[in-house]
Amino acid sequence: MSLKMTRRDLAAVLGSAASVAVARAQNPPASQPEDLNAAAKDQLRKDREAMAKVDLPMPTEPAFQFKA
Amino acid sequence: MAGEFNDDIFFATIGELNTRLKAKEFSAVELVRAFARRLEQLGPRYNALALPLTEVAIRHAQGVDKDLKIERYRGPLQGIPFGAKDLLSYAGHPTTWGASPYAAQVFDETATVLQKLEKIGAVLVGKLAMVELAGGGGYRFASASMFGPGLNPWDRTRWSGGSSSGSGSAVAAGLVPFALGSETSGSILTPAAFCGVTGLRPTYGLVSRHGAMALSWTMDKVGPLCRSAEDCALVLAAIAGGDSADPGSAHKSFYYTPQYARPTKNLRVGYAPIDFAEWAQPAARPAFEQALAVIRETGAQLAEVKLPDLPYGALTSTIILAEAASIFEPLIVSGKVQQLADAKQIAGLKAALDISATDYLKAMRIRTLVRKQIRQLFTEVDVLLAPTRFGPAPKISEPLDKHASDPKPKDPGLGSALIPAGNLAGLPALSLPCGFADGLPVAIQLVGSAFSENLLLALGKDFQTRTDWHHKRPKM
Repeated sequence: MSLKMTRRDLAAVLGSAASVAVARAQNPPASQPEDLNAAAKDQLRKDREAMAKVDLPMPTEPAFQFKA
Repeated sequence: MAGEFNDDIFFATIGELNTRLKAKEFSAVELVRAFARRLEQLGPRYNALALPLTEVAIRHAQGVDKDLKIERYRGPLQGIPFGAKDLLSYAGHPTTWGASPYAAQVFDETATVLQKLEKIGAVLVGKLAMVELAGGGGYRFASASMFGPGLNPWDRTRWSGGSSSGSGSAVAAGLVPFALGSETSGSILTPAAFCGVTGLRPTYGLVSRHGAMALSWTMDKVGPLCRSAEDCALVLAAIAGGDSADPGSAHKSFYYTPQYARPTKNLRVGYAPIDFAEWAQPAARPAFEQALAVIRETGAQLAEVKLPDLPYGALTSTIILAEAASIFEPLIVSGKVQQLADAKQIAGLKAALDISATDYLKAMRIRTLVRKQIRQLFTEVDVLLAPTRFGPAPKISEPLDKHASDPKPKDPGLGSALIPAGNLAGLPALSLPCGFADGLPVAIQLVGSAFSENLLLALGKDFQTRTDWHHKRPKM
């Protein structure tokens, strides 16, 4: 990876960085991080439960080397 | 000359622009300068622009003009300006992946798809904004991007869709004739639908992802957002093909062959009436019903079908999160993940580190069933049809999951899971604008079996010869 940047690129990136602040300002008040962490873990548990309901024949191999 | 271009030129198809270039109505430099200027001026209005590339684009266009002068024709994309989602690397220029931890990232290699387009004379005029890290951790707000929320050209209080947000809005606003986006699960189809443009998700492996940010090695695809199905075909023909640098490459090419398209009346189109009658939001139902009537008019035989009963959402989420957690592990464990804009995305990526190998493998094993059972479904029909999204773009001020707990029809129909199912199976899909709801575009999707892009594009083209939704322009 190289780090050559033109002044124009730098200006664009700085502009973009400024837009992070705008993005955050436009973000409505979020839930507490602890709640979100718990919700994310809860979602993983729900996904596990949904997968557990599938009748999966033992010889079924994973879709490795995935080809459509 | 650029000042003399009227708005029509900014909404012309690739074919129209190429014909006028070859007729020397204007030069490639003039065309590129006009689009680049428009992208720089109006792109920020929609938070669509990640990086303008005007100077380098004009240099490339000068080379195109030299070629055109000596009648060295390189195909229909020669001299056509375009934009690319900012997850595609462009040597020597920042590639941010829409995420502030990567704001200063610069690669020294250009993505294969951009190299291919450059080689045939298409001209990259700018990188386009996107949802941070293509939304892999799951995000709750449209503002999940270092560029701010993608604003919809039809109504700037509405979202442009994600994660290819800038690609959708830039095409819709006439800032570029076409754009490249990427889809892991819905990221081309959703912005195409919300912005009223035509989007093509190619079969997994048909288009190289070398130089594209990896979110999920087994699900990522790169594809075009354009003004019409035919334009999507022209772009796909240029970017498809084997690439030894992409381990997922199918090493197949794509040739657009409308002359060999099966007559539409011989096509069997599977759909679920409940998608149109109950799942669709009330305001969107007339447009979807009309689209169904147009598909019937083509002579295609409609048949009711159901997706196999499998937990598509859970599978998609487990596979994407597990692969994304591995890819972004350094970001997560370093704590820099906290610099992301969306708190839900931060929590999702952190939690994803806990997905066990057995859960990932279970998801991948069930995915084998998905592929098998959907392949079986395609022995009964040639194409699946459903609304791309059940309603128009949501408001940017509201959480994207605002209606997640609303009561839903008991029968899942087809459309409620077709995006994850199609992506799990690696299938191609085409999103076609089909009308408006509350003044905002809505769209249908056609999904086919692997490598059936020609069939989808032929049906899409037929649909678009019978409708003019894809010609509609937002008031600027």
